[in-house]
This record gives sequence, structure tokens and C-alpha cells, in this order.
Amino acid sequence: MSQFWMAFGFGLVTASVLAIAAVGLSLQFGITNYINFAYGDFMALGAYTAYVFNAEIFHLNIWIAMIFGSVIMGVFAVLINQFLLSPFARRFNKSFYVLIVTFGLSLVMLNLVYSIWGANNRTYSMKLEIYKHIGPFLLNKYQIIVMIISIAIMLGVHLMLKTTRLGKSMRAMSDNTTLAMTSGIDTRRITTVTWFLSGMLAGLAGTVLGITESQITPASGELFLFVIFAAVIVGGVGSIYGAMAGAVLIGLATEISAAYINPAYKLDVAFVFLIFTLLFRPNGLFARPGKA
Amino acid sequence: MMTYQDTTTPAGGDGPILRCEGITKAFGGVNAVNGATFDVPRNKITALIGPNGAGKTTVVNLLSGAMKIDSGKVQLGTTDITNMERYKIARLGLMRTFQLSRELGGLTVLENLLVAPKVQAGESLFNIFFRPRLLKREERQNLERAVEILRTYGLFDLRDNLARELSGGQKKLLEISRGVMASPSLFLLDEPMAGVNPALIDKIGGYILDMKAQGVTVLMIEHNLNVVERICDNVVVLAEGRTLATGTMSELRENKEVVTAYLGEIINAGPSH
Repeated sequence: MSQFWMAFGFGLVTASVLAIAAVGLSLQFGITNYINFAYGDFMALGAYTAYVFNAEIFHLNIWIAMIFGSVIMGVFAVLINQFLLSPFARRFNKSFYVLIVTFGLSLVMLNLVYSIWGANNRTYSMKLEIYKHIGPFLLNKYQIIVMIISIAIMLGVHLMLKTTRLGKSMRAMSDNTTLAMTSGIDTRRITTVTWFLSGMLAGLAGTVLGITESQITPASGELFLFVIFAAVIVGGVGSIYGAMAGAVLIGLATEISAAYINPAYKLDVAFVFLIFTLLFRPNGLFARPGKA
Repeated sequence: MMTYQDTTTPAGGDGPILRCEGITKAFGGVNAVNGATFDVPRNKITALIGPNGAGKTTVVNLLSGAMKIDSGKVQLGTTDITNMERYKIARLGLMRTFQLSRELGGLTVLENLLVAPKVQAGESLFNIFFRPRLLKREERQNLERAVEILRTYGLFDLRDNLARELSGGQKKLLEISRGVMASPSLFLLDEPMAGVNPALIDKIGGYILDMKAQGVTVLMIEHNLNVVERICDNVVVLAEGRTLATGTMSELRENKEVVTAYLGEIINAGPSH
């Protein structure tokens, strides 16, 4: 039984990281209507940017470095959308072309990270924290902070979507972009803000992934992207709340399964979930008509 | 009392609120709109009528920025809005509805209205983090106005329902109330009475007259000539993408060209029109 609860605790940590990443990806998809295959590389670049602030040049506290990394990734995402993806999206009606561009972008970003930081693992400069029993769970201080950050972000995103004009405009765009424009919503501005937020969330997710895994590698984001896709699709593509729920489900399922079968099959478990969801509820477990 | 018009928009001033000069639009080789020219007088209700395929909906699409104009000019008040982005046109005070009502289905009825006001401080991330008081005040004002409009249009009890759950008639009312929430100077209504029951036709007619009383100018596409006769001050007749005539309904009945092209067809078709 204790093994189950320990795995459950790790599952909550994974779900926390996954939820941040999945919500960012869902925000992006909800507004642009195309999947960004470079999202995992945004995470990796964010993690390395935080590494520059934390361990390589500025030697800042990891949490402050994380904020810098996230904001820089937000700005980077806006620039990528403005100068690369938006022109393609405007020119080609079919999202397939933009999808291919994001594939290409993913390769470029991955190789950029390899060429700057090399293929070796890097670690953040953080004090070593011992694991402690908290109720039935075995967690360290960093994992608890990551969970708190994730909960705060989910709450913040929820409040933004439900109570602010910005959030309502995002949901309106996600629902019907044409009608949103006709209602006077500046869809270009909302798209820019959405890319900034999702870029920030990618950078943040990449960094907290590096913190919880105690290492960062250039391909860590790409590998994690498949788990994010599983969470987003299981929750319901484009639905922010679905992404949150999907993250919890996939996070718990992968970690609990790892306690009983070989941990190398974590990714496979996520995909089994994904396949069954697509078979029996193709719109996702928590999808309603429309998005967000 | 509910106020409709935002007089700070460039649509304010004297003269016609909308001037449409020789606009054209072709799809492939077909000229859907072929030099339509007309004015929409301020604070009046103007009907846009004509046979099927006359280009009425295309004209509304061109005026609201939903389609690009090939040639010609559109002026809202003193502002040239030809081929302006549609959200900018909406923010200048020109709102529209659609022939088949459209709603933001995943948002509640109340939220559908709350996204409508033109410019809001809450659109800015900076304001969200650093000017929460301003946002709160703005949200409260918008909420009060939205509730007032929902009560007027009989949708208050449905305020927390998702818009997609409404009936066809309720969706029509929601679309009109969302436009009203944006304080339009000019409201384009594309067949507001289409597909609704007679009781609702009377109700919607009343709402349109109420808008006019509050200073909103209305341009509406309408096939129901009884409604046109009853509530419209001015009529523009389109045929084959061109303006055939303008005037009051009784003046148009005397116009042989109009009778031949449109009214004769309606009269011959019997009382359903």
C-alpha cells in the first residue's frame, strides 16, 4: 500500500508539471487552431534559459531564474508567431502547412540548443533537499513548491478565463473567431497575448520539469511533448479544463503504473490511455461541444 | 433607462450616418454587388429590400468588413471604413447580426454580452496585474448594463445557460442584445424576423423602434413588407447588385421599376410575404 501512495505522490508531481505544459498548449491550440509541434522545444529552451540565469552566468536563485526564463520564452513565442507562424497561417488556409512549419521549427530549436549547450545533461544550481514523509507521500521541498506553483497557475488561468475581459475574449475567439471579430474583439492582439502566455507556460513547464527530474537535456521537452499530447487529447483538444484534468489522469496513471511495471513503459501507458480515449470518446473525456 | 448610443464614436455628427458609394463585389465572374450607392439617414430605420440574389447580404458583409470591397467607398459618419478590419469597424460603432443567428455557443448568455463592449481595460495583461481596481469598476459597470439589457430582452432567467442551449428565437434575441451591449451608432440587422413566430416578430419590431427612440440608426434587410411598412422610415431597393430606388414604402409602390422588379413579384406571391 505504501508503494501505491508513494507512486501517487510522484504522480501528483508529474501531473503538476504536465498541467502547466498542457494548459499552455491548449491555450495556443484554442486560439490558433493548429498544433504546435515545437512546443516541447519551447520547454527545453525555457529550461536552458533559466539554467543560464541560475547556473551558467548570473547565478540567481532557481525560482527567480525560472521567472526570467519564462518571460523570455513568452517574448520569444510572440516573435515566432509574429514573424514565422502567422504569415504562414494567413497565407495557407489549411493548418497542415503550419503543422509542417512547426515540425521544422522544432528541429531548428532542438539543434540550436544542442549547438549552444551540447548533448550532456545539465543540472540547476540548487541545494540538495532530502525526501520527507508528508502523510502517505514521500516528497522533497522542490516537488512541493512545483505542485504549489502548478495549483496557483491553474487557479490564475481559471480566474483569467472566467472573470477578465481578456479571458472571455480568448474563449470567444476559441469558440468562433469570425463572430469574435464582428463583436469588436481585436483578435490579433488576443492572439499575441495568448502566445506570450503559452510561451511563458512552456518555459515554466520546462524549468520545473528540469527541477523535478534533477537534470535538463536538449531532448527533454520533445520526449515530454508526447505525454502532453496524451493529456491534452484525453482531456479534450482545445479545452483548458480538459487539459488540466487530462494532466492529472495521465500524470497519476504513468507514475502509478511505473510502481508496478517497468518504469520504462511510462510513455506506453500514456499512449494506451490515449488510444482508448480516441476509441471510445474521440472528443476527449471532458470535452463539450466547442472549446475552452 | 437603458442607453444605446455611444456618441463618442466617429459615427457622431450631422448628415447621413453611412454613405455607400458605388461599391462592387464579384465572385469569380459574377457581380454580386455592382455599384450599389445609397445613404443611411441618421436616427432612422432603413430597410434594404430586393429580390433573392439582389446582393443584400453581400452588401451587409461589405459594410461590416466581413468581405473585401472590390471598388467603391463606404463612409461611417466622417470616417472612411472601406475595407477596414472588421473589429475596427465594430469599435467605430457599426454592429451587425446574421441571417442565421450566430452566438458564442461555449459562453453563457451573460458572457456573450460581456465580451461586446468596444474597448475594455481588461483586455490588457498589464491592467490585469497592475490596475485591478479599474478592472473591477469596469466589470461591475458592464455587468450592470448586461443585466439591464437581458431583462429588457427577456433573457435574464437564461443568463447562466450556455448560448448554444437556446432556442432559435432566443438566439435571435441574444444576437440583437449582444449588438445593443456594444452601444452601436449603426446596427445592421440581416433578416431579424426570419424564421421567428408572429408574436416574436412583433416583439423584435418593438425592440427596433425602441433602439431608434434611443438614437440608434438601423439598417435592416427584410422580406416581410408589412414589417417594413410598419417600422421603417426609409427603404433602399436593390436589384442585381445595384440600387434601384430609395424612398418611403408608399413612394416605392408608385415606382414602376420597383414594382416590376420586386414588389410585383411579392404581391403575386400572395399573403405569406
